[in-house]
Amino acid sequence: MSVLRERSIAALCALSVLSACTRSGGSPGDASTSTSASSTSPEQPPVSHLLVAGDSLRFIQHDENLPVGFPASVKPLLIKNPYEGDKAAISTGGKLFIAYNCLDCHGADGSGAMAPTFQDGRWHFGGSPGEVFESIYQGRPDGMPAWGGRISNDQIWMLTVYVRSLSSKDLSTENFTGKTIERTGH
Amino acid sequence: MIEGVRRTSAFLILAGLCACKVESKPPAIDTTGSSDPKVTSTAAVGTSSVSGARIAVPHAGPPGEWQMPAGDYASSRYSELATITPQNVANLHVAWAFSTGVLRGHEGQPLVVGNTMYVVTPYPNVSYAIDLAQTGQPLKWKFRPENAQQAIGRACCDVVNRGAAYADGKIFYNLLDGHTVAIDAATGTQVWRTKMGDLSRGETITMAPIVVKGKVIVGSSGGEMGVRGWIAALDVSTGKEIWRAYNIGPDKDVKIGPKFKPFYAHDRGTDLGVSSWPSDTWKTGGGAVWGWLSYDPALNLIYHGTSNPGPWNENQRAGDNKWTAAILARDGDTGEMVWAFQVTPHDMWDYDAVNENILVDLPIKGQMRKALVHFDRNGFAYTIDRATGEVILAEPFVPMNWSTGVDLTTGRPKVVETKKTAQDKNVKDICPSLEGGKNQQPAAFSPQTGLFYVPTNNLCMDFQARAVTYIAGTPFIGGNAPEKGGPGGYRGEFIAWDATTGKKIWGIKEPYPVWGGALATAGGVVFYGTLDGWFKAVNARSGKVLWQFKVGSGVVGNPVTYTGPDGKQYVAIYAGIGGDMGLLIAGDVSANLPYDVRERGTTLPDISRWTSWGGELFVFSL
Repeated sequence: MSVLRERSIAALCALSVLSACTRSGGSPGDASTSTSASSTSPEQPPVSHLLVAGDSLRFIQHDENLPVGFPASVKPLLIKNPYEGDKAAISTGGKLFIAYNCLDCHGADGSGAMAPTFQDGRWHFGGSPGEVFESIYQGRPDGMPAWGGRISNDQIWMLTVYVRSLSSKDLSTENFTGKTIERTGH
Repeated sequence: MIEGVRRTSAFLILAGLCACKVESKPPAIDTTGSSDPKVTSTAAVGTSSVSGARIAVPHAGPPGEWQMPAGDYASSRYSELATITPQNVANLHVAWAFSTGVLRGHEGQPLVVGNTMYVVTPYPNVSYAIDLAQTGQPLKWKFRPENAQQAIGRACCDVVNRGAAYADGKIFYNLLDGHTVAIDAATGTQVWRTKMGDLSRGETITMAPIVVKGKVIVGSSGGEMGVRGWIAALDVSTGKEIWRAYNIGPDKDVKIGPKFKPFYAHDRGTDLGVSSWPSDTWKTGGGAVWGWLSYDPALNLIYHGTSNPGPWNENQRAGDNKWTAAILARDGDTGEMVWAFQVTPHDMWDYDAVNENILVDLPIKGQMRKALVHFDRNGFAYTIDRATGEVILAEPFVPMNWSTGVDLTTGRPKVVETKKTAQDKNVKDICPSLEGGKNQQPAAFSPQTGLFYVPTNNLCMDFQARAVTYIAGTPFIGGNAPEKGGPGGYRGEFIAWDATTGKKIWGIKEPYPVWGGALATAGGVVFYGTLDGWFKAVNARSGKVLWQFKVGSGVVGNPVTYTGPDGKQYVAIYAGIGGDMGLLIAGDVSANLPYDVRERGTTLPDISRWTSWGGELFVFSL
């Protein structure tokens, strides 16, 4: 329950940030419009008198996290990065990655150091643009600092597009003949 | 000294040659080195000893117990136990083992008090009291401290803990999130808990405390996070802070006063901890105390090292940057500084000076000297007068090329111009690497042989410094320094060292940096563990490997020995690869994080073939 709550609050924060961004004239992300007010479902299991169906505004990105009986017709709110695919923004994001000392935790080119790698295409807290924005904006429990309010939302979007661009490698198998990369210690 | 210079020049040439070799061809040791003792144990033949050498402070408690991180205040890691000998050590076998339930780097060592063993894990810093008197070694208690999760990502070099100290019926240790705790040794109840570090500024604590005259002495980590390093004393009964001394800043904060008598003239003056820095840079200058502490009761001096200055980029902090990368002697009651020796003034290679200071009395040139022996990250082994801070001798103990020797009239290293790092420059092939000729892995000393047993690294680096902005709670580094194997085609060596002459007596070459500590015993056997998971017993005189056992994970911890309730001698060691080597350098030895799968690192190209994360205590007996 606390996970769901945390996630919803997180999504709300990210969303409110987004609207702030919209107001300030930035290219807005586009929230999905399919937010039905209906909260009933024929498949809903029997519930105790305490369990009352919630509304179906869907911040939950991953199907596997949906509660049983969640209406299938309700699609997740999709938060788009205004800089998605923007090469100049990726390049700026790469500079911000160094300027804000992200590199020293996540490694050169996101190869992983004190903090996780971005190269493996796998994400602890979700890899959609909205989720990555959320991670940077709010911080994460294992030591990721919150950058929301400290740097502009616009820069967070550029960092988002940059770190997502690093996800390119399938590292599932290590057969000890493959190449190695340069790493540095502290 | 002349000889030192000559040797260093030879190293320079060798380093140059070998660097090319290493670069052009993947090292041959990678595939064969790990499992064959013949390859890993290439000890030179030679027997030597220094007679008359003695440990400055006796073992803490009965000889069969291990009450302090290093067994004694002198940091000798020597035990009088002598049942295990070169003649019978081949019969050593696992008596029992215990999983700590934690995966990360298991630096440090257990304590043994009476019939109880105390184990502290890496974050979340759970502690266990293990009943040695009962079959199956059940727990007496398990203590799970509150410990902020944010600390995981604020610790530079894995979430390690280097152990606890015992005194006054309590176990004292530090939590990664900056607290010090006291636990009732009998019941496991928390007696007190004191917040010492500020996590939001990047202060974590990983070091093992010692207890001196009713005070627990602790220090902070965070040399890579722009902290302002300190050391502090807490009341053993209440946890109340009695004194705190910063290592940078005005004399008042650093506790420099009338007692301060540094040996070298350039260390004398007012507020050097401010004036040796440009403007306010001292406020984020590092100088943390994350290494080992020693204490000499006769001189009433606490000895500790300080970490690298921050940031690594030297252009942002012109000057000597006092008192970073230094060995400091402080009054055992008040923390006042009595002498200081800056090992690497204006460090520009990340050469922290936090390695252990071993207190021994040594016969040098026909005279007994109250010595402090220190194997520094910078590659020099220092024999220092522990009463005054005078450097008696300093010789390279690993291949190095950044300095041609230490000027004994000033104590300062003579720096090779081409190996000076600078902002926006890529300086190639600097040896040793930022991991140092030796890092946290503590050496041991045996009064029987008069020799030091030293786990070392043989790595070199390219160093690229860049401008960096201080942002609280994030790394303050300003540099990148990829590492590679050093000259000779090996990455570590376990050596025996004569600190009266500054000479290596024998060495056992290892395929990987020797990141675990040493233990010397009166039985004439020395123990150490390797990054690829071998726990080894060595003849203290000849350096011959007499026995080895492959434990469950790479060893970055330190062996201890004790007498069990059955009267037998036991040897205990943590397995559990991690620390800087296992987290940052290897790149891929974890298997528990599905969202963090990394490419192998060039520095230790196939360490993950030999070992994976996993914390476990192994206990051996005959």
